[in-house]
Amino acid sequence: MLEVKSLYVSYGGVQALTNVSVHVKKGEFVSLIGSNGAGKTTLLNSIMNIVSKQKGSALFDGKDVTKKTTSNIVADGMALVPEGRRVFANMSVHENLEMGGFKRPASEVKQKLAEVTEMFPVLGERASQMAGMLSGGEQQMLAIARALMTNPRILLMDEPSMGLAPLVIKEVYEKLKVLASTGLTILLVEQNASVALKYAQRGYVLENGRIIMQGKASELLGDNEVKRAYLGKEYKEKWER
Amino acid sequence: MQFLYSGLTSGSIYGLVALGFNIIYNTTGIINFAQGEFVMIGGMLIYTLFSVMGLPFPIAFFGAVGCAFLVGIVFERVFIRLTRIKNELNLITVTIAASIIIRDVAMHVWGRDSLPVKEFIPVFNIKMPGGVISSQSVLVILVSLAVAFGLNLFLKKSRYGKAMRASFDDPVAAETCGISVSTIRVMSFAVASLLGAVAGVIIAPIMFVTYDDGIMTGLKGFSAAILGGLGNFGAAIAGGLMLGIFESFSASVIPSGLKDAVAFLVILLILFVKPDGLFGKKKVHRV
Ligand SMILES: Nc1ncnc2c1ncn2[C@@H]1O[C@H](COP(=O)(O)OP(=O)(O)OP(=O)(O)O)[C@@H](O)[C@H]1O
Ligand SMILES: [Mg+2]
Repeated sequence: MLEVKSLYVSYGGVQALTNVSVHVKKGEFVSLIGSNGAGKTTLLNSIMNIVSKQKGSALFDGKDVTKKTTSNIVADGMALVPEGRRVFANMSVHENLEMGGFKRPASEVKQKLAEVTEMFPVLGERASQMAGMLSGGEQQMLAIARALMTNPRILLMDEPSMGLAPLVIKEVYEKLKVLASTGLTILLVEQNASVALKYAQRGYVLENGRIIMQGKASELLGDNEVKRAYLGKEYKEKWER
Repeated sequence: MQFLYSGLTSGSIYGLVALGFNIIYNTTGIINFAQGEFVMIGGMLIYTLFSVMGLPFPIAFFGAVGCAFLVGIVFERVFIRLTRIKNELNLITVTIAASIIIRDVAMHVWGRDSLPVKEFIPVFNIKMPGGVISSQSVLVILVSLAVAFGLNLFLKKSRYGKAMRASFDDPVAAETCGISVSTIRVMSFAVASLLGAVAGVIIAPIMFVTYDDGIMTGLKGFSAAILGGLGNFGAAIAGGLMLGIFESFSASVIPSGLKDAVAFLVILLILFVKPDGLFGKKKVHRV
């Protein structure tokens, strides 16, 4: 469904991505893990053409999207939940959701609104509240719901666990699991490797802008190198037990 | 009290111009130095359509404002869109260049002379507490209020108005909702031009229209926007009214030749003392 081929991105001389190839099949839940500054956000943003690539391509249903505008890519059925959630702070929860459905026909917006508020009841309760007033977890739910309003076939998620308490992280990932079970394709990038790999089927490891490992999520979770570099804390916990 | 009434009249105009500045500032982060030219275009068009061609006022009004709306669209598509590197400095330079071009074209089309525009409504004075106010002033104030109210309604209720607010909040997030920020930018120029033209039309019978009116009107509106605090629509109107009243009061104590300097004193004072404007919030930068 999505095939990133030898993507290169640089920010004025600083190489952020080097020869990155990633693919996601229809219905898959894929997690890409990497530490601070590895280039995770850059990867998602260049797929969405929020930042422009140097070379390479990102094929969505076989067509290169890296030359399209972001809003047209969204219209094609690819949605991004951006890093740091980026809800419209000065607009109500309801208006945020409406914006997600900006390009969709009114009847579909109505139906989607019902769907997302059923999935995230708190958004229904807070419908008229300003989005900026929500807690971090609620904002993350809103950002996901807003992306779902675009009626995507693939959802790109940037660091959903950022700044959230462990319990809330679990809650968010459980929702993603439900979404994946309905057939939504998900490509997620995370620093929090343990949770990201736990919920995914396949995974990639990104380091300094290069893919250094890939495989089944369960295998990556069990890999000694991954444990040492990305699951350090928990690994130590296991040793201490 | 008399100062208050005349101040409210010019203040309404400054308020509309300041609204135009704000809309473009919110979508592009720049000051559009051609905003005053949009006002001049409104005045010139109503001169041609109403005074010269003798069309009925409502038709002439919508004709003038509609043309200005198109001018706004063309302005963005030509001057802003074609600018390859859209940083603030480049775009502001482009708007200054564009304002000079518009002024020159207007000089060739309408000449150098100040042009009179017929009254739209019968002129009479209305007795008010402590003075009189002319029917024309009342019209200016009412139309400005109606336009400000209409803009508010547009932004709060309409699909595209909401999309504009979303883009003000976070242009990248708006794009990820499928909202084309480039379209929003065109709209903001069209709406700003329309607001300017409304101001230009309603003030035309009170003042003559001259091809180079835009400079002073633009700078006054800009002062009003700075006075209120950029980025805030309510503050733009309030800033406009306050500037108008302030100017009109000061005319009673200082020589009238210095009246125009008052606006710039206001800018300086604000920038020295309260740079975010009287009603501005401290700018919070997203990380
Ligand atoms: N706008 C930018 N201008 C210049 N350099 C940038 C820019 N954005 C990111 N970078 C650099 O590119 C590299 C990759 O950044 P990126 O944000 O993609 O990493 P990340 O994996 O998402 O990190 P994090 O986990 O902190 O979100 C970093 O070295 C970063 O400093
Ligand atoms: Mg990131």
